[in-house]
Amino acid sequence: METKASHLRHALITVWTLAVVLFLYLPTIAITLASFTASRYFQFPIAEFGLEWWRKTFNSIEIRQLLSTSVTIALCVTVIAVSLAFFGAMAFARYDWRGRSFYQKLILLPIFFPQSVLGLALLLWFNALGLQLSWMTAVFAHLVWIVPVVTLVISIQVYSFDPALEEAAFDLGATRWQVLTQVTLPVLFPGLFSGALFAFLLSWGNFPLSLYTTGSDTTVPEYLYAKMVAGYTPGVPVLGTVSTIGAAILLVGGYGLILASRRARQSVSE
Amino acid sequence: MVEPATILSLKSLTKKFGSFAAVDAIDLDIAEGEFFTIVGPSGSGKTTLLRMLAGMEQPSGGEILLHGLRINDVPANKRPTCMVFQSLALFPHRTVGENIEFSLKMRGEAGDKRQARALDLMDMLRLPRSYYTRNVLKCSGGERQRVALARALAYDPQILFFDEPLSAIDYKLRKTLEKELKDIHRETGKTFVYITHSLEEAMVMSDRIGVMRAGKLVQVGTPHEIYTTPKTRFVAEFIGDVNVFAVEPAPGGMLRSAGIADDIKPPPLPAGFVGGHLVIRPEFLRFIESASDADNSVTGRLNNEYALGSRIQYQVRVGDSVLLIEKLGQQVFTGKLDDAVRIGWDARDSILVTD
Amino acid sequence: MRRFADLGPGGKSALPVLLFLLAGFVAPLIAVVWFSFMPPRTFSLAAEPSLANYAAIFESTNYISFLWSLGLAALTVILLALICYPVAYGLVRVFGRWAMLLMLLFTIPLFVSENIRLYGWVLLLIKNGVVLGTLKSLFGAEYASILFTRSAILLGMVYVYLPFMLFPLTLGISMIPDEARDAAFDLGASRWQVFREIEIPLSMPGVVIGFLLTFVLAVGAITEAKVMGGQRIIPIAQDIEIAFTYSQNWPLGAALSVLLMLVVGILVLAALWRFDLDRFLGRK
Repeated sequence: METKASHLRHALITVWTLAVVLFLYLPTIAITLASFTASRYFQFPIAEFGLEWWRKTFNSIEIRQLLSTSVTIALCVTVIAVSLAFFGAMAFARYDWRGRSFYQKLILLPIFFPQSVLGLALLLWFNALGLQLSWMTAVFAHLVWIVPVVTLVISIQVYSFDPALEEAAFDLGATRWQVLTQVTLPVLFPGLFSGALFAFLLSWGNFPLSLYTTGSDTTVPEYLYAKMVAGYTPGVPVLGTVSTIGAAILLVGGYGLILASRRARQSVSE
Repeated sequence: MVEPATILSLKSLTKKFGSFAAVDAIDLDIAEGEFFTIVGPSGSGKTTLLRMLAGMEQPSGGEILLHGLRINDVPANKRPTCMVFQSLALFPHRTVGENIEFSLKMRGEAGDKRQARALDLMDMLRLPRSYYTRNVLKCSGGERQRVALARALAYDPQILFFDEPLSAIDYKLRKTLEKELKDIHRETGKTFVYITHSLEEAMVMSDRIGVMRAGKLVQVGTPHEIYTTPKTRFVAEFIGDVNVFAVEPAPGGMLRSAGIADDIKPPPLPAGFVGGHLVIRPEFLRFIESASDADNSVTGRLNNEYALGSRIQYQVRVGDSVLLIEKLGQQVFTGKLDDAVRIGWDARDSILVTD
Repeated sequence: MRRFADLGPGGKSALPVLLFLLAGFVAPLIAVVWFSFMPPRTFSLAAEPSLANYAAIFESTNYISFLWSLGLAALTVILLALICYPVAYGLVRVFGRWAMLLMLLFTIPLFVSENIRLYGWVLLLIKNGVVLGTLKSLFGAEYASILFTRSAILLGMVYVYLPFMLFPLTLGISMIPDEARDAAFDLGASRWQVFREIEIPLSMPGVVIGFLLTFVLAVGAITEAKVMGGQRIIPIAQDIEIAFTYSQNWPLGAALSVLLMLVVGILVLAALWRFDLDRFLGRK
């Protein structure tokens, strides 16, 4: 139905969408610009451009410690989340069982929940149990929210998994373990990879949960927040830009890998 | 001629889901090397039966004997049988060669032996050798069927099970593959147990057919037997268009059917016959000039005409019923719609069935 | 007590996640509820239950924060629905191959923590920041910054929660079969009628999820008010935070949390009770 009215509508929608994209990325651009100033304070238009703060940030031991904490938490979260969520997704999407409907709704609850309140509730819980707050409690806190998300991501892949594949492998002589490693996991791999990517990135960028549960350890978002509130240096936008670009690279790279592997599977060789 | 040995024996095999019996105490002997097809409508239990034989479902009762040995508790990966699934279940992340070799790889065979065997199978199934490294998603429907078959044959199982593999394919390809399957069966000499909902498909390929309904086997026999001497109305109607009407005894050893005729000459009546149905295949009805041209005749009005390729089918309205006649295309018939016509059949061409 | 071996594969697979959520989600929330009935400023769970905290909420200014949070969240949802529906529509119907690239662009901000993204707005809007500084240098004009106003908080919230409205809406619109629209046009419906009778109802699952998710997350928003609002408004989450940290009044914080959880819980239950997740996620 290509009428003049619909052309106009489409044009308007396109313009609007681009405006929204600009709106979304304007702050990021501002942060990146702010990281290139040579002066101590932020002023626009930027008086002197310089890369000193970039140099200072990368050489800072404190920053390295932060990055290490954030990465450690993210990696732990990724490994545990994918392991738990793999089984969770099987229960969610593949098998028909009596509690399934209730289970599906239960999985959603930590997602449909204000994060700051969740963080505070966990703070209460950890204190009630007498646990020392550290990066490990932060891992636990992240998992409460991230395991359901990754379960959903993997479930999307599991929905299109043909159970006959496992039966065929079994019928052809494979043991249960071989079925898992030779058929189930490889076929589900794109979903597992997406889940891992999500888990890592969501943990890396998380602020509300980390704020209340890391105790004396500090993650990158926490540090940036503290500096924003008091003690601003252009190191903040540097780290902010690094964080953003890092996430973008991981996401685009991961997505590209999935696309490439899909293309490789369908290639005709010889 | 030596009687072929029984390879698979089912004794009172039952599968219950709650109180519902999907498979209800089935007894069956399948001979070694035969192509046996189980036919039935959806919900008749044939898939459940096949899955029990393959080891995917646990029977609720009864026994499955392979060469006389009870295999109820032998898991699927230990049975010397192999199944071709309805969706084919080819591993999408593997090449054609890897799919075919899968069972050999699970048994720990060396790479070059696996490859030799895979290439042999590909030759037998007329798959080009260049497909060995091709991903299965890139193969056509017919090619995928052959890969699935090669995969099932790879480790030389004793019995192959087929779960309606051709049901999702278009007509022409299906006809080709049916013939190929029959050829493969002859070449390999293995026992094939096949299930389908199409009796026509079963008749093309099978040595023997078992008709299944509501969990029970209602008739087992060769395709010819099933076609010419169906035991029940269900079996008779299962093949498609057929004339069936209720009959009851009439004086003089004849039959009467309300609305059709009062003095039908029947085929030999069983003792104590009190009523049933008469089955006449459309190709045994013919247009006749006078009542003496056939054992039985009725008059009616020509209702409709259907061209079926090499045959033409006519609908004739007799009383309240509609009878179907088929004749070969080249036989001449000069009638027009709404003409009064006379059709007839011979007693020996009709079949009496119970319900 | 059902034995482990009796569970089917579904039940067994669900066990790890269920146990984890029991320990990490259900248990803490139960603890919170329990604490809310403890006497104020105590730290133990064994004291005499009392309703003092709930009384305190209604006697103090806490309920004002509550209303502000609810109001801001509702406003955010409405604004985002209007902003995102055309974009979601474009992603499904208009952009074709570009849709994937655009989705990627919209996804990236999800993984950057909200305080960094909000800080960009601070840099944009602050005195001598990007906007005002440019204006000053170009036109010599000095304007007041809209930062540290209530509008700034709303801006921040709309900004942060945009993806959470956009993705469910996109999913919902993608569930409208083309043929239903074509049939409606064919039967004589106008553009607006098709929209009202076909598109809105069929995309309802996505709309519900989008509204619900955005509202529930926005009602717990705290960073926007702090970073961009300069304490102009104290949202309920901040009241809870203060109770837990500075005031050291856990029971009060718990009671406030319970009220918030009630609101969230009722909304979630009402919307999701009969929701067909399989169709939403699996059969698109």
